[in-house]
Amino acid sequence: MTQGVEGADQGRRRGQGELEAALFRVLGRAGAPVTAAWVQENFDGELAYSTVITILSRLHEKGAVTRVRDGRSYLWTPAADGAGLAALRMRRVLDREADRDAVLASFVTALSPHDEQLIRSLLAGTEPAGTDRAGAEPAEADLTGREG
Amino acid sequence: MGIFVFLPLILPLTALPIARLAEQHLHPRTAARLLTGLAAILGLCSTLCLVLLGVVGTAQIPGNPLPDAWADPEVREVVPYDEAVGAASIAALLAVVLAVAVAGWRHRRVASGARRALAALPGSADVVVLPDDAPYAYAVPGRPGRIAVSTGMLACLDADEQDALIAHERAHLSGRHHRYLLVVRLAAAVNPFLRPLREAVSFSAERWADEEAAQAVGDRRLTARAVGRAALAGPSAVPVGLAGFAAPGPVPRRIAALLAPGPGLRGWPPAHSRTGLAALVAAVGTTVSAVSSLNACVALLLVLHVLPMNPLG
Repeated sequence: MTQGVEGADQGRRRGQGELEAALFRVLGRAGAPVTAAWVQENFDGELAYSTVITILSRLHEKGAVTRVRDGRSYLWTPAADGAGLAALRMRRVLDREADRDAVLASFVTALSPHDEQLIRSLLAGTEPAGTDRAGAEPAEADLTGREG
Repeated sequence: MGIFVFLPLILPLTALPIARLAEQHLHPRTAARLLTGLAAILGLCSTLCLVLLGVVGTAQIPGNPLPDAWADPEVREVVPYDEAVGAASIAALLAVVLAVAVAGWRHRRVASGARRALAALPGSADVVVLPDDAPYAYAVPGRPGRIAVSTGMLACLDADEQDALIAHERAHLSGRHHRYLLVVRLAAAVNPFLRPLREAVSFSAERWADEEAAQAVGDRRLTARAVGRAALAGPSAVPVGLAGFAAPGPVPRRIAALLAPGPGLRGWPPAHSRTGLAALVAAVGTTVSAVSSLNACVALLLVLHVLPMNPLG
């Protein structure tokens, strides 16, 4: 039902995940802390220097790589810590496999705008502080109306 | 054997009413088990029936594995056969084998890929928090199974809601819901008429885990809120068709079910209700499907055993 949208979105995310993984592999081959320029040179393909920096920074945020300041630039190394690496690998699996949700029982699935509206009105009544149930009425009517 | 051998191919249709009504009237655990069982039996019978049609229908083709006596006119009179149907059945059977192999292989690939990804993390903690902004939470099957939650997912829930989320994923692992998902997936690959059962089972599995989570945290509304918040933080899909007429997706239905009283309170529907009738139709359909494939099977085996000793050949 939402195949087209998911496909397009996945294509974009796939590109990102693949690039992250590729740069991570380049870092792994280096064997020692290296500069972003070294990564750019040794990457198998064309990448702008700024893109390399962006991706390395993203990997750093995820904990997959560490960096130390060396003069005006950074030296980058793959992190020894497993969490970042695991996240990176998990992300690659999720990005590559269209049927991941069918296998791994995803907690939630993609929502249509109509679903979003429904959920907001359903949740309006569940907030611990709020007691406003008025918003929930149309949603419930809508759901029970489906039974027939 | 006759016409009855075709029945198991279309009888899966009898399971559709119960697949639709189970969501509203059965406990999700009962629904998941019942519908998975139905899908397995109907899928097996439908495959068996394809095999029989193929074997009997192509009995005349040289090189078939049947005794030569099958080509004799006397035998052909006894065993009804149709070459076109037989050839079509063989083609369908090949397609089914391929579809099942592909579905099984893809299932394995996703599960083992996720397992290997988590293997980068030492230790035996069953909940693994992965640094990733994308909100996701998965139950990864294995021995033991593990739960992978992204920091992005945890960020959109408060502490109590996080507990509900973890309880939901634990329920998937302890209830071995992945096996149900695999069975219905293979069944849907065997016979396309079983696809609605697959959707119904995957929804029931989520509902089942929701109910277990609600019980574990002792608060249905809290669990409903966790599901809703997580869904709102996740990706959204553009609707197909007119939004105003779109049926509510699985997530709003789960939330509504959690906000309603527990499913245990409703009990089994009386036999004269719509659900009772649907259950009856499904039971009859499954029985007829099983009996007719068994009947055809026995007939074939009898012929196979009797023929070599027959003076016909």
